[in-house]
Amino acid sequence: MKRFFHSELEQFRSNLLLMGERCIEIVRLSTRALLEGNVDFAKAVLTKDDAIDELEVMIDAEAIRYISMRAPVAKDLRLLTVGMKAAHDLERVGDEATSIARRTLKLDAALPVKDFLGIPAMTQITLEMLRDSIDSFIEGEADKALAIPLRDKEVDRLNKQNYETLARLITQDTARINSYLDLMFISKSIERVADHASNISEEVVYLYKAEDIRHSSLVKEAKAQLREGEEPEE
Amino acid sequence: MSESKAHIFRHNPRSWTHRKERIAMCFLRMMTYFIIFCASYLFLDIAIKGAGTVFSSSFPFVNVEFLSGSPQTLHVFEWQGEKLEMSDAQFRAWATANAIDAAGFKTDTYAYSGGGILPAIIGTVLLVIGSMIIALVLGILSAIYLSEYARDTKFIRAIRLSIVNLAGVPSIVYGLFGMGLFVLYLGWGVSLIAGWFTLAFMVLPIIITASEQSLRAVPKGFREGALALGATKWQTIRTNVLPYALPGILTSSVLSVARVAGETAPIMFTAAYAMRDKMPWEADSVTGFFTQGVMALPYHIYVVSSKIPQNEYTARMQYGTALVFMIVVASIALLSIYLRQRARERYRW
Amino acid sequence: MMSQKNNFPPTLNFEIPAMSEQTIPTARTIYRPTATVQGPGGDKVSIEVRDLNFYYGEKQALHGINISILEHEVTAFIGPSGCGKSTLLRCMNRMNDLIDGTRAEGQILIEGQNIYDKDVDVIELRKHVGMVFQKSNPFPMSIYDNITYGLKIQGRKKKRELDEVVEKSLRGAALWDEAKDRLHESGLSLSGGQQQRLCIARAIAVEPDILLMDEPCSALDPIATARVEELIHELKKTFTIVIVTHNMQQAARVSDKTAFFYLGNLIEFNQTEQIFLNPSDAQTEAYVSGRFG
Repeated sequence: MKRFFHSELEQFRSNLLLMGERCIEIVRLSTRALLEGNVDFAKAVLTKDDAIDELEVMIDAEAIRYISMRAPVAKDLRLLTVGMKAAHDLERVGDEATSIARRTLKLDAALPVKDFLGIPAMTQITLEMLRDSIDSFIEGEADKALAIPLRDKEVDRLNKQNYETLARLITQDTARINSYLDLMFISKSIERVADHASNISEEVVYLYKAEDIRHSSLVKEAKAQLREGEEPEE
Repeated sequence: MSESKAHIFRHNPRSWTHRKERIAMCFLRMMTYFIIFCASYLFLDIAIKGAGTVFSSSFPFVNVEFLSGSPQTLHVFEWQGEKLEMSDAQFRAWATANAIDAAGFKTDTYAYSGGGILPAIIGTVLLVIGSMIIALVLGILSAIYLSEYARDTKFIRAIRLSIVNLAGVPSIVYGLFGMGLFVLYLGWGVSLIAGWFTLAFMVLPIIITASEQSLRAVPKGFREGALALGATKWQTIRTNVLPYALPGILTSSVLSVARVAGETAPIMFTAAYAMRDKMPWEADSVTGFFTQGVMALPYHIYVVSSKIPQNEYTARMQYGTALVFMIVVASIALLSIYLRQRARERYRW
Repeated sequence: MMSQKNNFPPTLNFEIPAMSEQTIPTARTIYRPTATVQGPGGDKVSIEVRDLNFYYGEKQALHGINISILEHEVTAFIGPSGCGKSTLLRCMNRMNDLIDGTRAEGQILIEGQNIYDKDVDVIELRKHVGMVFQKSNPFPMSIYDNITYGLKIQGRKKKRELDEVVEKSLRGAALWDEAKDRLHESGLSLSGGQQQRLCIARAIAVEPDILLMDEPCSALDPIATARVEELIHELKKTFTIVIVTHNMQQAARVSDKTAFFYLGNLIEFNQTEQIFLNPSDAQTEAYVSGRFG
């Protein structure tokens, strides 16, 4: 039997999806601003973060309200708690995107960002992770979500590589030291977005499988395998 | 050591607790069987001795004259070496047929030992039906007032207490009361209607108490449900309380039926005739029906057992009447049970 | 890495979508009580209780109750046993009159009329204010007769009219599909939850404006309870509903406003959300969070 208040869960879910879509959009926009040197895109990003923040507040309020008024259990309860956590992660994603856009605006326009750093690849992987984690939530595919955290390793590696490149450039090209520092933070921000994407995917696994895979041996082993250069199963 | 010891849960038939338990149960069982034995003896004695009078060995297997005739004098005499027993009417017919002078013919006569008891059966049935109708109407109406309308004041409690006490008053007192009020003061004479009211008054306490309890047993929800729909109190009682209380009222009135049918004392002075040839429907007018006295089975038993010289012929009559009486009471009781059952099936909750 | 660079950005091929800010509700609208203060019926007061004191003999059961119940809202009364919530409910159609030695001071205004005035016809009042009881009490008669009982005692006996009312009421009580083929079977042949819905159908058959429900689900299993709750949610479109419940979750689920009673006093009356998320009184908080006593 469907109860009249179950529609509130649908509403909650769609708000969460809306928030996810907004986050993907804002990350795409900020990275594109960075890679194409498009100032308009960067400025657009700065106007969109507030909506995401409000969505987070609303999702939290809805979850608290539903929990205290409707006494949810099992999957409904997991949806609400996962929703609150995911909303928090997404809000952080929005903040990182804003930070990327803000630093992009300060960058030296002549710097060929997409040519000398691993940022395009990082961006692509990160966006795919974000997209996949949201999709696995929509489609209810825990197995798909399970593979997402493994891809984070590559992003970390690229970030580290960027770090080394930039550290070298700072000492060689002192005139652009500010831009290099900004790029360092930008790279870090992208890496953080990938981290949030894997958090979300872990939460999706919890939602659909009721299994908490965070810090579990499963993920750690897979990551260790990745480190040894072996391709993971997926 | 510990293995040979019995488990604490094990039943130990020799323990003192168990013995006491068994002794108590045996004692209770013996008492019950003793009562059953006494009652069975009583009923069987009446049934066996009465059966000879009521039933016969040839078709139609019942003694038609006994069940359809009025009490008559029994003539016992010898005729051509045969011992004959004849009731008065038969004797006269026989005498006419044989061209004998009935008045001059010498026979042994025994009062009330011949003929039948039909007037008494009819009288008893009429008394029971009439008095139960009066008692139920009066009793249920006052019970409705007491349980539904009356507030729980001291006055009402006093009334209730008196009603309960009235149930313990001996029936002869009701008989004298009936004679004083109905027969003498109201001038109804010894009549069916005086008997009805006297018997009704006798069982009213039982009926009122039982009806009140039955009404109270109807769930409060039925009353509240009806009232909450905008019914008045009387509508509620009429449509949604009384119908459900009726089975209970009828159950308890079975007891009253037996009492009304069985009591001798109240009708002795108010309604019963020792002998009446006329059947009740042979009354000369409609009012005459109510103002006539009737015969009644218990009073008839009393008359044939204590008012006439005892002998083997009267004993036959006594046992026969007692058996018929038992059957009549049982039938009336069964009828009430049947009615109650039907009412109960209609309203079951 | 180079190959990635060449086909980069493959997934970034997009235009800036128009972001419509106004489609995103602002978070504040959810929490501010004024935003949800009105029920579907607006703010018309249906029952207004003014300074009501109620006594069972010497014992005072209600102390100066003031409460306004809005039309087409579900108002829940909660509180521990003996707190007076049922007493107040039964004052609203004067069912307490049936108990000897009770006395009410103050006013209850329904449609602007004080129902404790001397010239009030209680019978008419009860047609206007229906009641559903804790223990489902279908009369031991057919489903059809149960529903038409209220009409028959008013002298309405036309069969066509009664047939219509039976169907309408059963549909209203979400019982039509289950009962339409057995209208002439006993109401007691229904299951517990169906019986309670039959009682609701019987109450709405006389077309009251207000429905009082005295713990209507306390004897029902969770599924039957859920059905009755769904029904209440539907019925508030037509009726003003006041419900007494021991089940706080039920109050949270079905009601728009909640009143908390304790020892015959109205402690707090507010939006249900407010009562359960952020009660302003410490006693209310202790009660709804199960820390009472």
